[in-house]
Amino acid sequence: MYATTYHKPKTLSEAVSLYENSEEPSYLSGGHTLIPTLKSRLAAPQHLIDVRAIPELSGIEVTADKVIIGSATKHAVVAASREIKAAIPALSGLAGSIGDVQVRHMGTIGGSTANNDPAADYPAAVLALDAVVHTDRRAIPAGDYFQGLYTTALEPGEILARVEFKIPEIAGYAKFRNPASRYSMAAAFVARHRDGHIRVAITGAGNEGVFRWTEAEERLTENLSAEALEGLTIDPSLMMGDMHAPADYRAHLVAVMTRRAVQNLGGTHIL
Amino acid sequence: MKSPLQTIAPDVIMHPLKQPKPESAELSPEMKLVREALFKHVGKPIPRKEDGRLITGKGRFSDDFSLPGQTYAAIVRSPYPHARILGIDKSEALASEGVLLVLTGEDILADDIKPIPHNPVPSTNFDMKLRAKDGSHAFTGPHYLLPSDKARHVGEAVAIVVAETAAQAADGAEKVVIDWEELPYVTDTAKAAAPGAPTIWDEVPDNVFIDTTFGDKEGTDAAFARADHVVKAEFHIQRVTGVTMEPRSSLGSYDPETGRYTLYAGSGGAVRQKNELSKVLGIEPKDLRVLSFDVGGNFGTRNRVYVEFGLVLWASAKIGRPVKYTATRSESFLTDYQGRDLVTKVELAIRKDGKFLAMRADNLSNVGGRAVSLSPLSKGSGLITGSYDIPYATLRARAVFSNTMCTQAYRSSGRPEVTYAIERLVELAADQLGFDKLELRRMNLIPPSAMPYTNAVGSVYDSGEYEKNMDRALELSGWATFDARKAEAATRGKLLGRGFANYVESSIGTPKERAEIEIKDDGNIEVVIGTQPSGQGHETSFAQVVADMIQVPVEKVWIVLGDTDIVSVGGGSHSGRSMRHAGTVMAMASAGLLAEGRKRAAELLGSTADRIDFEGGVFKLRNSNRTIDIFELGRRTRESHGPLRVVKDNEMHTPVFPNGAAVCEVEIDRDTGHVQIVRYTTIDDVGRCINPLIVHGQTHGGIAQGVGQAMWELCAIDQNSGQPLAGSFMDYGLPRSDTMPSFKCEIAEVISPTNPLGIKAGGEGGTTPALATVVNAVVDALSEFGVKDIQMPVTPANVWRAMNSGRKAS
Ligand SMILES: Cc1cc2nc3c(=O)[nH]c(=O)nc-3n(C[C@H](O)[C@H](O)[C@H](O)COP(=O)(O)OP(=O)(O)OC[C@H]3O[C@@H](n4cnc5c(N)ncnc54)[C@H](O)[C@@H]3O)c2cc1C
Repeated sequence: MYATTYHKPKTLSEAVSLYENSEEPSYLSGGHTLIPTLKSRLAAPQHLIDVRAIPELSGIEVTADKVIIGSATKHAVVAASREIKAAIPALSGLAGSIGDVQVRHMGTIGGSTANNDPAADYPAAVLALDAVVHTDRRAIPAGDYFQGLYTTALEPGEILARVEFKIPEIAGYAKFRNPASRYSMAAAFVARHRDGHIRVAITGAGNEGVFRWTEAEERLTENLSAEALEGLTIDPSLMMGDMHAPADYRAHLVAVMTRRAVQNLGGTHIL
Repeated sequence: MKSPLQTIAPDVIMHPLKQPKPESAELSPEMKLVREALFKHVGKPIPRKEDGRLITGKGRFSDDFSLPGQTYAAIVRSPYPHARILGIDKSEALASEGVLLVLTGEDILADDIKPIPHNPVPSTNFDMKLRAKDGSHAFTGPHYLLPSDKARHVGEAVAIVVAETAAQAADGAEKVVIDWEELPYVTDTAKAAAPGAPTIWDEVPDNVFIDTTFGDKEGTDAAFARADHVVKAEFHIQRVTGVTMEPRSSLGSYDPETGRYTLYAGSGGAVRQKNELSKVLGIEPKDLRVLSFDVGGNFGTRNRVYVEFGLVLWASAKIGRPVKYTATRSESFLTDYQGRDLVTKVELAIRKDGKFLAMRADNLSNVGGRAVSLSPLSKGSGLITGSYDIPYATLRARAVFSNTMCTQAYRSSGRPEVTYAIERLVELAADQLGFDKLELRRMNLIPPSAMPYTNAVGSVYDSGEYEKNMDRALELSGWATFDARKAEAATRGKLLGRGFANYVESSIGTPKERAEIEIKDDGNIEVVIGTQPSGQGHETSFAQVVADMIQVPVEKVWIVLGDTDIVSVGGGSHSGRSMRHAGTVMAMASAGLLAEGRKRAAELLGSTADRIDFEGGVFKLRNSNRTIDIFELGRRTRESHGPLRVVKDNEMHTPVFPNGAAVCEVEIDRDTGHVQIVRYTTIDDVGRCINPLIVHGQTHGGIAQGVGQAMWELCAIDQNSGQPLAGSFMDYGLPRSDTMPSFKCEIAEVISPTNPLGIKAGGEGGTTPALATVVNAVVDALSEFGVKDIQMPVTPANVWRAMNSGRKAS
């Protein structure tokens, strides 16, 4: 780790102004992505601006049709929330499936969504649940928010404040974990929204990060059952490939996990 | 049975072993006492004494030590698998804030710092004699603390930077500028030995520095000619690493007043570190004190000397301040001594009725950039025929250099590899020839009546009831009711498979051990011993032995280890040697202590030693009511006779052969290839079991480590760049509590005739058969897809590929 200066602002404006007036700043939330990167000297921000003490970034609100989660909310808190579990069980199951106990008690939804790791879990929920990402300055629909590996619509200095999920009629999440890292190697979040439209978001597999599998959505719109997906495959050239899962295997897993998400609507299926 | 051993060609070295005389043949009166000991504590599952200390953070691990004025070291490592060092510019690093010292391979030569005397070729009478192709002593590649010529693997240390803080040292390390000339490299085991491979050492142009053939070639050839069937296979038991919880760490300091060096460094045995590092520094062993207290995992990775240990000592003398180096986890993945990496080609000659007639093996061990230890190749060589009576065998054992980190003995060194080969081969033979895989094994197992049994390469198995192990393991595992479980699993879309393997392994290890036992005035007994636990519970099981002998509560016995100023001789902990060697010498020392006590008690009570009885920690004059407690005796005679204390040395050469069997059941998800182990059963003949709780714990860990290799672990290297791919837990898969079933383990105690306590060894037996057992189960589960073999680790991707191709995966 290189030497760095730590700040813990108490307001959004203080955080933004610290960011704008510092050389090589970086926001810090749970630190469970950023700190390992710093420790291996792969990043060298000179100022770390911890956003967790900013009141606007915390709290959970569940309304008749929305679940709104402050960006500094830890995975464990989302997983344990009764209101979220009642509203979107697949979302609370997803949060409870991230990493391990220690990770879930440090990592945050905002950090995960801002980071947009192609193997992270939350991006699948954000996309499939047609969420709106609220920042210190605007509201970004999920469809515009994710822009490729580790890339989002967030501008430098922009703070992710809350994620607003639409409560679907029903949703399911199925994940096949990487045998080493336990991040997703292929995972599908399937949701039928109250207006009847279907969203299928795939994470862990695509070579441009999280994406909507529109062919699967079309089939499931007609018939929300695993049988409807029979024979549907995805092009391996769209997939990541590595020592754990070559692209053709990932493509296969995407199809299987999408079927399993449908078979497990109202919950999760984690392998 | 007649040993088929004969010299076959001038370049073939014969195994020197004849029938060894059991060392316990002549028992002294005191050793009889050992034999007849009440075994009050021995055999009981006493909870570990050390656990309270360890789980409340009171362990003393290497990085816990700090000295006044301490500085910090960072290591500059090679980014290339093979590259010549054309020059190193230290100036920018030296100018960096806080940097005190930068040293390179040139400085090593200038200061006449010697290579680490690893002595990689095992040399006891019972080790297979490994030689170069022409029969000469092999060139093993000098291991300087820093090379001056070239780097031979990614991560090789090429410079050390010492600074006031760890961060400054790391900053300085980034500023060491090295002029590299990249060279062609080879990392793959078979390719390294293939003609035309890049040369790692000019002294060995073809990289193959060991090439020895063992066994009776004519007899083997004749048996193969006679055979009705020959079954062949080739396996790669892949490279893995130890993944200790505590990364390696060292703190060196030099005292100019006394001229003495001190090293705090956790290892597999401080005495070896002292002896070898003193040679590196060119000093007398007495001028180096090594302290190694609590060690957070070893598995073999810490048995040999690391360059950083020598570097901190050398640097501390140069700057006159203590120097500390603690590896990061990434550095550990890159440069902890690694394990396995054996390519083996095996052939089995079989008679029509299934009787094994002969075996051929061609074993190629990848030692990495230089040879640190040939233990894996050697140990495995003696056991290629496994638990089976195979009258003839020949083995070609080769070792090859490559551009990878060095390998070393890794949990159960060499034995899981050859067990994998024979147990997979038997399975393939049964499948190809239509035998029942269990019956084929049973028919060829070595019967108890043949013990001691000399196998076809000359190893003498001391004792064992192999078929009984097999029966018991099958019974415990519910083998007979498998079909019902398989049918049930199928309803859930799961493929159930079962695997079985027998094993026999050897425990040799450094033959010498010393114990010192002293009766302390405060009512405790102190035992000084030269083994080094890294989680094996020696503080408890060793105390049990002494407590039994001296007939006192086990709480009164304290084990002292890990400081070479106190522990002068000691073989360390490896090869399952500790309990057998330490247990025996402690029992002998206890007996000696009692003899001395009897003498003193006689004097005090006005009689002769032969009239003194000893019971329950109390000496008693026979036919009287005059007694004295052993602690009281110590106190009362201290002034006149000195402390009641005994030092005992013992040497035991005869190896023992722990053995057993394992059964594994796996459930494979048909759609994804995900493998879940659902049942795991073992039976282990450990000889006399001192503490079943500890042995079971060791077995559980051993199983997890073996299963880990079979299922997840791999030091993967990108063939296109020579770069290691598994540099962190993101890519190196380990077993976890939720991926392991609850184990069913049973201990069989067939007392070994080779040592007074009858001990064999425990802990490695969990690992030895695990690789074969898991893979046999996976192949069984995939049988309907026509899968006959699969490369480890059996990751979901490999399983899926195998299902799809019905051929050997990847
Ligand atoms: C061992 C381990 C296992 C893991 N397993 C999983 C897993 O299975 N699935 C999974 O999804 N994740 C996993 N993670 C990642 C974990 O969930 C991370 O915590 C998370 O992805 C990042 O959240 P954080 O709060 O730790 O963010 P940080 O590490 O603090 O920050 C991450 C990035 O986001 C930026 N950032 C943070 N907050 C904001 C904000 N409010 N506005 C703008 N930018 C911001 C930071 O500047 C940084 O670039 C794992 C992590 C570890 C260490």
